[in-house]
Amino acid sequence: MSSADRPAADELLPAVYDELRRLAGAYMRRERPGQTLQATALVHEAYLRLARGGRPWTDRAHFLGIAARAMRQILVERARARGAQKRWAGLDRVSLTASLAAGANADAMLPALNEALERLAQLDPDQVKLVELRYFAGLDIDEAAAALGLSPATVKRRWALARAWLFRELSGQR
Amino acid sequence: MTGDARWTRIRELFERAFDEQPPDPAVWLDERGIDDWQVREEVISLLRHHAAAGSFLAQPAGDELSRLMADERSLEPGQAIGPYRIVREIGRGGMGRVYLAEDTRLGRRVAIKALAPALTADASHRERLRREARAAAALTHPGICTVYALEEIDGDLFIATEFVDGRTLRAEIEEGRRPDADEALRTARELAAALAHAHGHGVTHRDLKPDNVMRTRDGGLKILDFGLARLDGTPASVDTFVTQPGTVVGTPAYMAPEQLKGERADARSDVFALGVLLYQYTSGAHPFGAGTPLATIGRIIDSDPDPLYTHRPDLPGSLIACVERCLEKVPADRFTSAADIVAALDGGGARRPRGSMTIWWRTHQLVVIATYFLACVLAWQIKEWLAGFTTAIFITAGITATVAGLFRGHLLFTERVNGAGLAAEHRRAMPVTLAMDGLLGLVLLADGILLSGARPLPAVIAMALGAGIVLARVVIEPSTTSASFRR
Repeated sequence: MSSADRPAADELLPAVYDELRRLAGAYMRRERPGQTLQATALVHEAYLRLARGGRPWTDRAHFLGIAARAMRQILVERARARGAQKRWAGLDRVSLTASLAAGANADAMLPALNEALERLAQLDPDQVKLVELRYFAGLDIDEAAAALGLSPATVKRRWALARAWLFRELSGQR
Repeated sequence: MTGDARWTRIRELFERAFDEQPPDPAVWLDERGIDDWQVREEVISLLRHHAAAGSFLAQPAGDELSRLMADERSLEPGQAIGPYRIVREIGRGGMGRVYLAEDTRLGRRVAIKALAPALTADASHRERLRREARAAAALTHPGICTVYALEEIDGDLFIATEFVDGRTLRAEIEEGRRPDADEALRTARELAAALAHAHGHGVTHRDLKPDNVMRTRDGGLKILDFGLARLDGTPASVDTFVTQPGTVVGTPAYMAPEQLKGERADARSDVFALGVLLYQYTSGAHPFGAGTPLATIGRIIDSDPDPLYTHRPDLPGSLIACVERCLEKVPADRFTSAADIVAALDGGGARRPRGSMTIWWRTHQLVVIATYFLACVLAWQIKEWLAGFTTAIFITAGITATVAGLFRGHLLFTERVNGAGLAAEHRRAMPVTLAMDGLLGLVLLADGILLSGARPLPAVIAMALGAGIVLARVVIEPSTTSASFRR
């Protein structure tokens, strides 16, 4: 994108918070009490990070990708700050697989998941994008398909593959 | 086969098997003649893990947001942190929790801020915090909470500061009591003076908000958290922001447009925050209030504040003008530093009580309006005595006196109800009153000349009145105006 057809920062800003609010809506529509504040906090932080980064985006899909990446970074940093790695290392290997499959321990898992995603990025960066959109930005299959320009059926297959790959990495089995 | 090609092959096979759900993947791969053992093993392994993954990653991270966004641990009363003994928790902020503690070496009470680990994880960042604490510790001012020490205990960072016993300005605002004009002015001046001291030492606050200002038991004000301030000249990079997640959450409502846009913040960004704070303190409302925090951000960036006058018509014009200038979008349009706010408040109100000089300006306006009336009566009388050209003069005098009188009445009204807008209205009215007074003076002079043969005394009075109106406008009015409204 050349500088000539890149919209000025002022024009982009309203679009940024509209989009982020929509993303936050993905969290808020689940209507868990006490979540609204945290979702707002996350959106603020992602917004400020995007504004600071000054990275231009080409379209909505590209924007969603950047925002999802920002949310991944924020959540992983928070988990690290709480000492998630220590708790992760302290988890019993045998019960770990079971608790991962039960969807528990998201908190302790985040830094390890982040590292696994870095390894996955070496192999297949598109898979990482999908995980960021689905898991970190909270998009459903159809929304992620629209953002990636793929059919929902394809996204469903790829999502299954990404989950299987990451599950294997995190449960520490080959 | 290269790694990339192998992965593509693995992905294709996995996705096909995902659709077809074969009972035995090994047999299914045999049927397709896949004999690369690495591909076979990987596909089978991934299918097995897919079957075992259960609800792994099924719920987005957002579903546990309240846990995932938390970023601090807590200390218990009685716990010893180095030489400090925790008494109780007294607050939570973006940087971490704050405790009342006792410094056992000196036997004094201190406030201990346990910095959130997110802020201190990285070495360069710890170094920056040390520098900032050093800068903040150099500030000694009755309006600034004194920083005693930055302690590094077992890898965690703590800032020890003076313990300020009192309540926050936030609590005062939420209580709903609004300060009267004198108290508002005093508060504005005190805060601006404290901020000016810091700005004078090259320290900006960058997170000024009602939660960071305490009213002590004896009524004084103290600004807290200068430890957050960035020394002028230190670049604010994306990274420093990234490693400081907590500091911005919840406070964008006090950030200046340039901060929200990610541009460099300086003393003028503090000036903006002080404007928002004073606006809220005096009116109870946010100048860019909107339904949601995000909508407020939007209004800070692109719309004008709601006029403070509509909330508090009783505040001195100088204070209203001051707050509004703090809230300008472009930093260059604001006060350059807090010291200029102090000067403006002193010049505009605090030192010289409003009303002692404006009374002369008001008297001037009223006397001039009375003179207009007199001039019209005289012109009418002259027209009665002397037919001819005097009728046109009477009509001209009537029109000019009405127009100029209306403008002066408008200025008087503006000064009473909207002091902040007076300067602009005055600029608008000046050319009109100058032209009208000039014209009125001329026609009265003409009347006097026409009448001088028949009735010398009224003729002289008309000419004197005309000259008086012109001189009052050109010589007297500028001085009464500047004496009353000098900033």
